[in-house]
Amino acid sequence: MPNIEDYEAMTKISLSEDEKTIVSGYMNMLLDSFKKLEDTDVSGVVPLISVLDVKSPMRDDVAIKTISREELLSNAPEQHDAYFQVPRTVD
Amino acid sequence: MGIFIEDYNVSGADTVALEDSIMQKGKQVTAGSKILDNFVSPFNATVVDRLLDGGFKISGRTVMDEFGLLKLSHDDNNTPSGAVRAVSEGISAYALCNDLFGRYREEAPQYDCCYIHPTYGTVSRYGLIPLASSLDQIGIVCRDLSQGFGLLSHLAGKDPKDGAMFPDSKYCYGKTDEKITLGIPRSVIEKADADTRESIMDFINKFSSTDIDLEYFDLYSQVMYILSSAEISNNLSRYDGIKFGYRASGYTDIDDLYTKTRSEGFGLDAKLTAIMGAVVLSKDHYGPYYEKAMKIRRLIKESINFDTYDVIVLPCKISDDPYENLALYSLAPLAGLPSVSFSYKGYGIQLVAGVKKENLLLSTWEVSMA
Repeated sequence: MPNIEDYEAMTKISLSEDEKTIVSGYMNMLLDSFKKLEDTDVSGVVPLISVLDVKSPMRDDVAIKTISREELLSNAPEQHDAYFQVPRTVD
Repeated sequence: MGIFIEDYNVSGADTVALEDSIMQKGKQVTAGSKILDNFVSPFNATVVDRLLDGGFKISGRTVMDEFGLLKLSHDDNNTPSGAVRAVSEGISAYALCNDLFGRYREEAPQYDCCYIHPTYGTVSRYGLIPLASSLDQIGIVCRDLSQGFGLLSHLAGKDPKDGAMFPDSKYCYGKTDEKITLGIPRSVIEKADADTRESIMDFINKFSSTDIDLEYFDLYSQVMYILSSAEISNNLSRYDGIKFGYRASGYTDIDDLYTKTRSEGFGLDAKLTAIMGAVVLSKDHYGPYYEKAMKIRRLIKESINFDTYDVIVLPCKISDDPYENLALYSLAPLAGLPSVSFSYKGYGIQLVAGVKKENLLLSTWEVSMA
């Protein structure tokens, strides 16, 4: 059983004690069900990343306008002088 | 559960409701999550542009489960989702949604509606709030599959803004005169209740059919959960309280801002999925879980070859356990195949066909309804 606190830190999610109990229960159930994968021989099988058997499309390397800076910033919880505002990150 | 987050109060045969994960310029879009509180879409999803170009009217934005995530707990609340209610109650002719885990595909037949899950890569996902990108696919709730495919013909076709699409610019959906042979996975159908089995057998008798073995069916739920949680966990990482959406207050530094925002903004299903995604992608588990699931996904895709049959028949429910039931709804997204679900004599039936073989699904449905 993975240490749930490690994954809380990794995902930047802090669970309450009640949530931790529920998440641990589901995690146990899911990891237990994943054991079924062990019986399948996948030697020589290439992982399937995309079901589409087509090449990634390329476009000309030309700048295009999508949305304006103002529109982009209008959804920011906090902004200052046309920038996203965040707490101090360096001393 | 209500129907609309926002009801535009329009009616008629050309109305389309949007699940709250499909972006519409100037409208608040939350994907059912507090983490997107106050987010206003700066652009239209490609499907919205195509609806408007085709003369359709948007009837409103429907209530949804948070991000459309799988709810592992058995939900005693039998109220249907907003999208299915909008169509079944005649408020909207159609609804568009992203059904990754089968909620709409299971629910639509219960409320005398149909669901169309198109071939992956035929309908643009641009402007759909991403859940699991290699599995996401916008589909249609409708009352009648022939009308639903009529709407799909306006939506499908290459969009340069979505990098994972077939090159076809348009698709023409209509019934075909091809003789259809059904593939019958008896071991799966036997898991359904007696009434559903009887209904499916009656349906099968209208066609020629052959028994098939759905190899790896016992692993479908696991593979689907592992791959989707990994992708969802990554897609949820963008919600950090900096660029858009909800930001918690009372934080001490940027790390605390991230954690408080995500802990207050996500519901329990999102937290569980983000954590499980991190588990299957972590150093110790990547090989046995994530990489192995990707390999089994290939085996699943290659095991479905449609060589002696054209359409696979599946029930819409085999268990009260959502995780066990997920297996029924995993084949189409895992292999990128089109599927439809509808009610036949009061019981849900799901059909799955080969890539871009939607016409076979429509024809099968039409024959069964004749």
